[in-house]
Amino acid sequence: MSIVTVQLGQCGNQIGFEVFDALYSDSHCPQGLCSKRENEVYQASCKERFFSEEENGVPIARAVLVDMEPKVINQTLSKAAQSGRWKYGQHSCFCQKQGSGNNWAYGYSVHGPRHEESIMNLIQKEVEKCDCLSGFFIIMSMAGGTGSGLGAFVTQNLQDHYSNSLKMNQIIWPYGTGEVIVQNYNSILTLSHLYRSSDALLVHENDAVHKICAKLMNIKQISFSDINQVLAHQLGSVFQPTYSMEGSYHYRRNPLGELMENLVPHPEFKMLGIRNIPQMSENSLAYSTFTWAGLLKHLRQMLISNSKMEEGIDWQVRPPLSRLPTLGKVSLNRELHFNTSIANLVILRGKDVHSADLGGFKDPALYTSWLAPVNAFNVWKTQRAFSKYEKSAALVSNSQFLLKPLDTIVGKAWNMFASKAYIHQYTKFGIEEEDFLDSFTLLEQVVASYCNL
Amino acid sequence: MGRRRRRVDRGAAVGALPKAIAALSRTLPAGPSPEIFRRAKFDRPEAAPALWQLLFRVLSPLSADGASASPAQEAQVRAVKSELRSQGYPRRALAQLPEDGSQGSRELLLALAWLLARGPLLERLLAQTRVRLGDEIPLCECEALARPGAPVPRVEADGPVDIRHLQWLMGKLRFQWRKLITSQQEQCALLGKIHSYTRGCHSDRSLGHLSVAETELLRDAEGGQQLLRRLESENVCLEAALRWRRQELVFWRWMDTVLGTCPPEASQPTFVPRIPERGAGEWELVARELQALQEELRGAAEPRRAAWEARVGGWGPEWSAVQRASREAVGLELAALQRAWERGGAAAQPHGPCRLVKSDAGASGGPGLRAAQVIEVLRSREACLEAVLCQLQRQCRQELARLAGALPGLIWILPPGR
Repeated sequence: MSIVTVQLGQCGNQIGFEVFDALYSDSHCPQGLCSKRENEVYQASCKERFFSEEENGVPIARAVLVDMEPKVINQTLSKAAQSGRWKYGQHSCFCQKQGSGNNWAYGYSVHGPRHEESIMNLIQKEVEKCDCLSGFFIIMSMAGGTGSGLGAFVTQNLQDHYSNSLKMNQIIWPYGTGEVIVQNYNSILTLSHLYRSSDALLVHENDAVHKICAKLMNIKQISFSDINQVLAHQLGSVFQPTYSMEGSYHYRRNPLGELMENLVPHPEFKMLGIRNIPQMSENSLAYSTFTWAGLLKHLRQMLISNSKMEEGIDWQVRPPLSRLPTLGKVSLNRELHFNTSIANLVILRGKDVHSADLGGFKDPALYTSWLAPVNAFNVWKTQRAFSKYEKSAALVSNSQFLLKPLDTIVGKAWNMFASKAYIHQYTKFGIEEEDFLDSFTLLEQVVASYCNL
Repeated sequence: MGRRRRRVDRGAAVGALPKAIAALSRTLPAGPSPEIFRRAKFDRPEAAPALWQLLFRVLSPLSADGASASPAQEAQVRAVKSELRSQGYPRRALAQLPEDGSQGSRELLLALAWLLARGPLLERLLAQTRVRLGDEIPLCECEALARPGAPVPRVEADGPVDIRHLQWLMGKLRFQWRKLITSQQEQCALLGKIHSYTRGCHSDRSLGHLSVAETELLRDAEGGQQLLRRLESENVCLEAALRWRRQELVFWRWMDTVLGTCPPEASQPTFVPRIPERGAGEWELVARELQALQEELRGAAEPRRAAWEARVGGWGPEWSAVQRASREAVGLELAALQRAWERGGAAAQPHGPCRLVKSDAGASGGPGLRAAQVIEVLRSREACLEAVLCQLQRQCRQELARLAGALPGLIWILPPGR
């Protein structure tokens, strides 16, 4: 079943390129550590999901590129075509000549409706190429202008026109010390609108990925390209093919559907975080070996202590001894250090994957009281190695990962709103104070729900 | 002369009965031999298990090619009793048969005859197990609605249930629903492709293209052999059914004699369980105590009920009038809905699945329905149901508003949605 990707804005388009590139490279990687026949099945499964076929055999990414200025789109198109391995469709992009000045309201209320028909037509054409549409990825930044406002509008439209298809928004959480002064406003408006019309919000934090580049990959001058590649690696390790069930060697047909069913069926809990282990530069890779026990131990502690990477994990954090049902508000100070999960999905790829012991993730102490581990924890496996890593594990988690960052952003936005700073930029284009208040209410509710796990 | 003729007639009749029963048996799933039927007339216990099994297979909803193992004897017996009761079977003697399935073959035989006589039982069974060569889609849901299927096991929750868990489960259901719709869309797209690619391949000109089963037949020889075998066994069943139709009069005359051998039914006002001889004294004690308790309860409940009725202002006769009125209103609404459906639709739609055939746009009408017509009917039904849904939602909103107004200190926060 196929996934159609909508790449929005500078952020979305640059990341989208890296994602398709990572998927393609991995599926054609010769060091898959599996038989030739299995490799072919793996390739075919990945191809059907993310690429469509053309006569001369060059795969075309199932993607629609949208931006309000042509520069980034042209760069993306040419980078893909240059590689000669895969490319974007000739008529799959939409761009205008002007930017939107990082104005969320302009993106949502002006660009959106004005270009609605063209954009939806492009998406429709891409959907028609699929034998079976599983759903949509929408890659966008949360705090920018075009990406966020227009992204919120497009997601709403997808909800209206393709209500049965699944939608996952890949959201780029901005740097804490970002340059755009209204980024917190943009963030809360984006999040609240997406919460209403999307099925899942998979969050990638710029700060976290930046640290991974610096500490683990040892990159001295970190460019956006490096960050995007790490991000793409994480996404690829989740969505590349996996066996459909224990003991089977058939690949899962609908990973997006199963992921959503396992992680985000509750309408109030839609925020997902992603962790990946190991991450290192290619040079170090040749000299490292891992055991599943070691990898999973680290991954589990990363989950519990809300650590973003395998270095600097706080090993002091332990699950609470008794998981009593929390009837009232839990004391924030002490308990927040321990990250309570609602549901987790672990994906294992590589050698001897069937011998990996996941007992540590089935501990009821990790989870909230109203969902038992048998329902809350899922694991996907394949013995086909991912992208030259002999063993790798990924974790997609619906937990309190984003509670603190979300609370921080809402707090900062509220402080600005209380003094009505910069509100006129939004009211000028139809986003009224009422809309801000609605957004605050919704997000406060989300914060409270995650807090009371 | 007359006597010899009668003897000849009787001789012919004696031969005809086993043949008729054999034909009937061949048509039914798990049909027992004619000897079982004969023993059942005399209520022989050894005939009972086979007849319980037969009734179970006849009455239970269609399982996929009989793949699942049949349940234990007691479960079968209970299922048969409950299904017959819900269909209105009049003889109480059957309900009183023991659950180990060891007795009552005559009663079972009578029940089978009752089912046969009531309606087109054989036709329905044969239709259910028909070998289908085409790509079928169901046009109406009545078959599925009439048989709600196995009852869902009720799980008692120990302790209070967290509503978040319920919301979680609801969400999972919704996702599965969406996955189902997506799968159906994929199936339609692929069927379309197969139908287009195999255009002109079918020997039957009116169909024009192959179905999935027929295409598989060409690709897979082993599968073709299996299909052939299934068709042959279906033919045997159908021929048996035809033979039965020609000879069934003999069977019914014989069933009259079976009924004649039954003892007259004693009229029992209530079903009394058999009390074992051992411990009969204790049972009597218990029965007396129960009766005393019942009297006490009645004595306590009556004045309370009278007081409550007095408080709500003589709801006795008025309440039943209100009930009657609302029942009538619902009946009227339902009838109006059905009339609207019939008006919107063409002549009565056929029940059960129909074969999908893809034809060119300009093709002149053959037998069967056009998809456009079916779609129109479904759309008008959808519109009717949407109207009813909107009305019910409006009523819900009004009720919520009323409740919200009644509790001034309470703030209602609606869930995020548009």
